[in-house]
Amino acid sequence: MTLLRTRGLTAGYGPVTVLHGLDLEVAEGEIVVILGANGAGKTTTMRAISGTIPRAGSVEFEGHDVHKSAPDAIVRAGIAQVPQGRGTFPELSVEDNLKVGAFVRRDGGGKIGADALRWFEVFPRLAERRSQRAGSLSGGEQQMLAIARALMSRPKLLLCDEPSMGLAPLITQELFQVLERLNKEEGLSVLLVEQNANLAMHMADRVYLLETGRIVASGSAAELSADDSIRKAYLGF
Amino acid sequence: MELFLQRTVDGLSEGSVYALLALGLVIIYRGTGHLNFAHGEMALFCAYAVYQFGEWGIPIGIAVVMGMGVGFLVGATAEVALVRPVARKSAFAVFIVTIGLFQFLNWLDGAIWGGQQLPNTGVGSKQISYPSLFPSADTDFVSIFGAEITIKSLGTIGLVLVLSAVLFFVFNRTKLGLAMRAVASNADSAKLVGIRTNTVLMLSWRIAAAIGALGGVVTAGNAQSVSQSLMFSVFIYASAAATLGGFDSPLGAVVGGLAIGVIQNLTAGYVEWVGQEMKVGVSFLVIVAVLLVKPSGLFGTAKVERV
Ligand SMILES: Nc1ncnc2c1ncn2[C@@H]1O[C@H](COP(=O)(O)OP(=O)(O)OP(=O)(O)O)[C@@H](O)[C@H]1O
Ligand SMILES: [Mg+2]
Repeated sequence: MTLLRTRGLTAGYGPVTVLHGLDLEVAEGEIVVILGANGAGKTTTMRAISGTIPRAGSVEFEGHDVHKSAPDAIVRAGIAQVPQGRGTFPELSVEDNLKVGAFVRRDGGGKIGADALRWFEVFPRLAERRSQRAGSLSGGEQQMLAIARALMSRPKLLLCDEPSMGLAPLITQELFQVLERLNKEEGLSVLLVEQNANLAMHMADRVYLLETGRIVASGSAAELSADDSIRKAYLGF
Repeated sequence: MELFLQRTVDGLSEGSVYALLALGLVIIYRGTGHLNFAHGEMALFCAYAVYQFGEWGIPIGIAVVMGMGVGFLVGATAEVALVRPVARKSAFAVFIVTIGLFQFLNWLDGAIWGGQQLPNTGVGSKQISYPSLFPSADTDFVSIFGAEITIKSLGTIGLVLVLSAVLFFVFNRTKLGLAMRAVASNADSAKLVGIRTNTVLMLSWRIAAAIGALGGVVTAGNAQSVSQSLMFSVFIYASAAATLGGFDSPLGAVVGGLAIGVIQNLTAGYVEWVGQEMKVGVSFLVIVAVLLVKPSGLFGTAKVERV
């Protein structure tokens, strides 16, 4: 079943239009990757979906039109975004970061606490630093925290914007393994933005290629890497 | 020893008032990054309002609560009508707008309660006698180790301590507090977790103004009179207190306020050449010294992030 569907998604900043009508789809349980050069509009796409910038066109989530919804309503509907760069609250403790992540939940402290413990199990480094300020964590630890924080809202769809940026290859692998596991075991759908095409293609069910705010190609990872011209121009291998 | 104790307690009492105002400055700054130059005048307007309620025969206790309500409304109006429209354009514009609000409120106080003086000069502005929140006759004191500590001082200090405890609880143990800290820390990510950041900013202004109202009432009550110039120096000390404590730390605002009150009272009392006129200078020297060592203030967090 289709979880997220955009039709003619247009967005930008002030007078500048960055996205020129994107048709994107993420099915339930899918990992979909958006690839594109710097400035292609990947981050803008994420922001347009999460409602943090003005947008036009339709955005449907689980069959409901959410293109007019405010960011908090979108989080409530089940979309969580891990922004590019540091998505953490540097002055808050690791534990409080997770608590804030559950801000929209109404199901009581007990369940929220249990979820936090669960992410501490998944990311043991965070558990060791639970009362430390998030700002004092390393880049990799902050990225883990940002992801854990997003998962605290119990999303159906996770938007992940270049989680590997600035991380050592080993840490990146660890992060991606966690995402894959969540996807397999719990059916979490993921829309992932990546520069590292090679890495991302491995886990992607489907891929969109974005160029200056337009989708120029899409398909399964195998289909795209089979096309020589696409491989050379966009995938770099 | 008695004298020392007495001066310290008086200093704490004086500092409590600075702390009340500084708390509001910090709450607004943390949430929005704005400096509210009109904070003292918003407090003063509320103090006048409480006086008016008293004139209408409303008991002082109820009048104070109503005054805090007025503060809440003044904060709301200022934020919605003045700050929000310019905030998106420039933080500096907000500063200018709050200066305008400062002028306007002072003029308004004068127009309603003050007679014909020029606004903001303070010179010759009309003094109205003001009800004290605490018993303040000459005989209202308790003897502790031989020192005569006034009920007024104890009451003021107690009030600030209770309020600080309440605020501490709200900030650190409630969902609203968590949201306020989150917005202060990273407004963009706060939106992404579903916090309505505008609502939080709005509440910051209102809560700050309500606390400020209490500060205004206590200032006027302790002075037993109110005039248009009442808050000028208090606002300066409160800004100093917030700077000393760290502009983003409520705890710092309280500690900073109390410290400035005590430093001033002790130096004015013990160092002869300092006296009443020079005591201001001493606390500012202390602040500069502290800032040289710790630029973000005693409890402020330096905004240095690991990259
Ligand atoms: N806050 C902003 N205000 C104005 N223009 C912006 C803003 N953010 C991005 N842009 C512009 O929008 C375009 C797309 O930017 P976007 O951040 O979406 O690219 P991206 O694909 O995520 O790039 P990168 O790989 O570098 O993260 C760029 O031309 C950029 O200059
Ligand atoms: Mg980007």
